[in-house]
Amino acid sequence: MFKAFGFIKRNSNLTHDEYRAGHAGYHNSFGRRLNNIRGYILNVRSNNDLACDYQGSSLIDQITIAEPRDFDNAWDGYGQLNFDSVDDYFDARTPALDRAGKNGLEYDPMVAKVGNDLEYLYSGSPFQFCVDESVQLPVIRPEKKLFKVVQFVKRPHDLPAVLFRSYLAGKYCSAVSNIQGMRGLILNLRTSLDIMNGFFTPESEGFTVSGVNRRELFYSLWDGIVEYWFEDADSFFAHRTDSQLNSYLHRLESELFAASFYREVDETVAVIPNRNQPNNFYHR
Amino acid sequence: MFAFLKRNTKLLSHDDYRAGHVGFHCCNSRRLKNIRGYLVNIWANVGLASKIGADYDKIIIDEPSGFLNLWDGFPEVYFDDASSWSRAATAEPNRATETGLSIDPDWTLADAPLLFDPVNSSLTEFKSNHLQMNETVVISVDRPERKITKIIQFFKKRPMSDDIEFRQMVSQNYVTKLAQIDGLKGLVLNFRDPDIDSAIRDFYPDTAWHFSEQGQTERFQFASLWDGVIEMYFDNIGGFKEGRIHSAINQELLSLEKNLFSSVWYVEVDENVIIIPNRNPAPAFYHR
Repeated sequence: MFKAFGFIKRNSNLTHDEYRAGHAGYHNSFGRRLNNIRGYILNVRSNNDLACDYQGSSLIDQITIAEPRDFDNAWDGYGQLNFDSVDDYFDARTPALDRAGKNGLEYDPMVAKVGNDLEYLYSGSPFQFCVDESVQLPVIRPEKKLFKVVQFVKRPHDLPAVLFRSYLAGKYCSAVSNIQGMRGLILNLRTSLDIMNGFFTPESEGFTVSGVNRRELFYSLWDGIVEYWFEDADSFFAHRTDSQLNSYLHRLESELFAASFYREVDETVAVIPNRNQPNNFYHR
Repeated sequence: MFAFLKRNTKLLSHDDYRAGHVGFHCCNSRRLKNIRGYLVNIWANVGLASKIGADYDKIIIDEPSGFLNLWDGFPEVYFDDASSWSRAATAEPNRATETGLSIDPDWTLADAPLLFDPVNSSLTEFKSNHLQMNETVVISVDRPERKITKIIQFFKKRPMSDDIEFRQMVSQNYVTKLAQIDGLKGLVLNFRDPDIDSAIRDFYPDTAWHFSEQGQTERFQFASLWDGVIEMYFDNIGGFKEGRIHSAINQELLSLEKNLFSSVWYVEVDENVIIIPNRNPAPAFYHR
């Protein structure tokens, strides 16, 4: 399955919570109608600070390695798009035949523009990239909001990329997947595949020199994202502090990561990813 | 709240209706104020009887003929309370514009009479069966990242049985047994509120078709076909066949059904999850 992430910094006209409403409200309403979309999730950076707002928050300092300064100034949220193929992704931004009209079903050109609100919702272009995804523990969502934590990790210069992926997807995720109360675990490694050209218009900020520099600076801070879903915050803090596990993970993290830091995000599931074969009818 | 809806048959096929409902219509309705959950169930293109075969007739009692001609889909919407639902169509700012976050001037539910069964005398109204449901989650629904099979069991109380006793028997004896079906991924019992206006009072104006003589008659006829529904989730149809029909408890279930129901039948629906229901308290920020 093709999977893309798009990191977004909010427009300066909006507060973080206004950005949430604009993204989870109007924007997602159009994004979920993209042609042939197979999954669509929005993750907005939580208003809570993992490092101080929870009982057990002191854990975060202990397990953080070389967190970059002012990291959160670069983003407010990130979207996840799933398609069957990269071709479907590039073809998605076309008018959708999904609106009842006086002559039957009609095309809606606003879907091709994803609501046409990008310049007012974002500050510059999203940092959009394809990820190499590894589902370590399939996500099961109950009928309540889960506690979702994302771990940004950076590969050390002296560790070859192929070994980094192998160790991370293997022994590291295998170890963390034993944390009790976990409802899902997915590893995502950023790839260099260009999925900006052909998706955003040529005059987009992301193709200017400053836009490229802004994106490359952000990318230089991390190489992969581990997404964790937990029943609640207590599950994460209580079980991640298990001394035996923590000691083992600490050794691994010292070897595997030049940087490792955590954020809580609020997940909006605009389209539950469907990893099985597509239906032969419109389905979201 | 459930809302059984028939498509506008002059304009749309069943599959056209799917796209129009789950696509454009939900683009707007998922932004209803304070909505806490939103599913759109559309009957499957291949009927359950043909998927299950001859065994289907062994588990039903007096299924009303032409039932699927009365509706194409039914959304389930969740709100914290009735007043939140009655004020749900109040526009709120959720669109980023040049001047910041604004009320979306293009927000509309005006496609409804083109999408749903229109009221002949009105260009703006459509027929619907909005019904308030009294719900009990027997097995919490856990959704994986793939489409799961959802089967709706409709049931009608035997005419002579007492209402309260009937509800107790269904809630305790019957559903407890039903919950023993292997492979269930979720089980939700819903009794229909006997007051067919309880979901739309204060939502539609008094002059709406729903409160007209014709509206009352049509809506009462539909609602009187059943008293409740049970939502069952499985990995696939095979899960239902093995877990229910070919299981050791099937005979016990059949016996209970014969005693409790004058009608019982099943419809497979394709569930579109527009907003995963959030049964915990609402967050202090805009969330879907």
